[in-house]
Amino acid sequence: MTGDDSFEPAPITLRRSVGGATATATSAGLAFAAIDYLGVVSILAYAPGATAAFAIFIGGLVVILVSAIFSELNGLYPTAAGIRLYMGRAIGNRTALSVTFTYMTTVVLVIAADAFLIGAAVRHVLNEPAVLAYVWIAVLLAIALAANLRGVRIAGWVQTVVTYTVLTGTSILSVVALFHVGGAFKHPFDLFGRGTFSGIQAVAFALFLYAAFEWVTTTAEEARTPKVITRALFIAPVLIWLVATVFALALSHLVGYSTLHASAYPQLLLGHAALGTVGELWMLALTVLTALNTFNGGFLVASRFIYAAAREGNLPRQFARLNLNAVPWLAVTSLAVVSAVVAAVVFATGQWLLLVSVGAAIECAIYAIGSLCLLILRSRVERQRPFKLIAGRPLATFGVVLFTLLFVATAFADPKDSSRFSVAPFSVIAILGAISTAYVLLVVPKLQRAAAARTAASRPRRRPTRAPSSDVGAEQPGE
Amino acid sequence: MADWDEISEALADYTISCNENQRLRKMQRDWSRMLHFVCSDTPQTFSMDVVRGEITSTQQGHVGVPDIVVTATSETFCDMFWGDLNPVQKYLRGEIVVKGSQEDVMRLDAISYVIWPES
Repeated sequence: MTGDDSFEPAPITLRRSVGGATATATSAGLAFAAIDYLGVVSILAYAPGATAAFAIFIGGLVVILVSAIFSELNGLYPTAAGIRLYMGRAIGNRTALSVTFTYMTTVVLVIAADAFLIGAAVRHVLNEPAVLAYVWIAVLLAIALAANLRGVRIAGWVQTVVTYTVLTGTSILSVVALFHVGGAFKHPFDLFGRGTFSGIQAVAFALFLYAAFEWVTTTAEEARTPKVITRALFIAPVLIWLVATVFALALSHLVGYSTLHASAYPQLLLGHAALGTVGELWMLALTVLTALNTFNGGFLVASRFIYAAAREGNLPRQFARLNLNAVPWLAVTSLAVVSAVVAAVVFATGQWLLLVSVGAAIECAIYAIGSLCLLILRSRVERQRPFKLIAGRPLATFGVVLFTLLFVATAFADPKDSSRFSVAPFSVIAILGAISTAYVLLVVPKLQRAAAARTAASRPRRRPTRAPSSDVGAEQPGE
Repeated sequence: MADWDEISEALADYTISCNENQRLRKMQRDWSRMLHFVCSDTPQTFSMDVVRGEITSTQQGHVGVPDIVVTATSETFCDMFWGDLNPVQKYLRGEIVVKGSQEDVMRLDAISYVIWPES
């Protein structure tokens, strides 16, 4: 088919489509998980006191560049499979597959981290022995697994309400902490705290607060118009910036860093310092609410990705098996099991801030690759774009350099101590990347050959053969 | 390019395969959607009404307000309805474009997967 013989269909409006408020809530909800409260603590390690707010602001400005880059790429390929399409066209299918497999591990990390953090928070409030935290983790994941296997979906409006409740609730408590407890602004310079400001690491960790906001592009196919997604990509970071800033200021005002870096529930410490038991319960409720978005969104995105990869022949076909609720049950169960194992490792080692470092570094790498894709596709794809980044080539080049630097800064940083160098985050990422690459190079070709042989052997082509028509050379199935 | 006769023949076979598959009917029991199809290489359009997992009608042109809009070449549609191609592979290559929720996109593929597991 050439461009000349294609027909431009008239725009069609769907019966159910996603509007601006829902898309923004989806974007902000995917980004703002319980692990973000720990993300603020990681920023405070490198930007003490109120300087953290500065780092969050710079991180927000950088994220606006990410928004613009992903808006242009999403406009080019407005589909849930967009990331595979633009990466595949820019850097090749195999590399794209390796990158997306590694990227999907961040979903598992976030699910595991949220399960761990919520379990730890619930145990803390109920004043139970530490070991019971893992029971709560297992219960939470079991509930999420059961709900997913039964095909229970949280309605869009519930997700929207939950997201805005979490963001507003966190902001209100933070403002109360700042203005009514101890008068933070009577001695504003005290807010700046003591310690070294390490800008590049602080900004890299600040980026993590916004991480996953770009996943809203997977809802591109149900958006009322492409502009809905573009607007969400720009508005959601502003909301997160506002909430994270007041939370960081309140935290540095009321809770000492020495207490924070040893705690898996800084938000509860802030709640307690601000309003006593009421504040603690308030923050616990918000923490549990974040799980609705994380578990619903995380399981859905990752299990559908696994299903599609299995149907495409890139994962064993068992992962595409559906139960009677049309849910890829093995994909969902595997996600829950792997998340439980990761959460158990975090529980046993106490290395929860390592998850933040790994997640932040992977996000920086994805942003660098996204910038590179934009740069390459500007040369290769001439198609008109609904959104086009002004000065796209220089800004994308800047993005490649900046996000690579931020990746290095995060991957080799000790998340607890700014004065120490650590290879732990990079080691985890390198192992995940090596497993993904080895799998794509060694296992995927075998799976695809087996799938092709199975299809060829199973049954002949069903479509009746017709007399030759005008479309000589039409593509045959399986090509 | 496939003409309407070829597409309707493929659709008729697809409808029988779907409606006679008890597992599929059970799986899609809570799935009622109006689907619109758009051929990208010809001016042909057609609609499919699915009520509680049963395809109740297929007809030329667009009927009602769609929940899902699928765009592909007429050849791709024919091969897809005959079960001779894997829709996911085409979708991930951008050769089948779907407008609708992620859940509906998966449900749509699930139909092909259940009736032709080897595709």
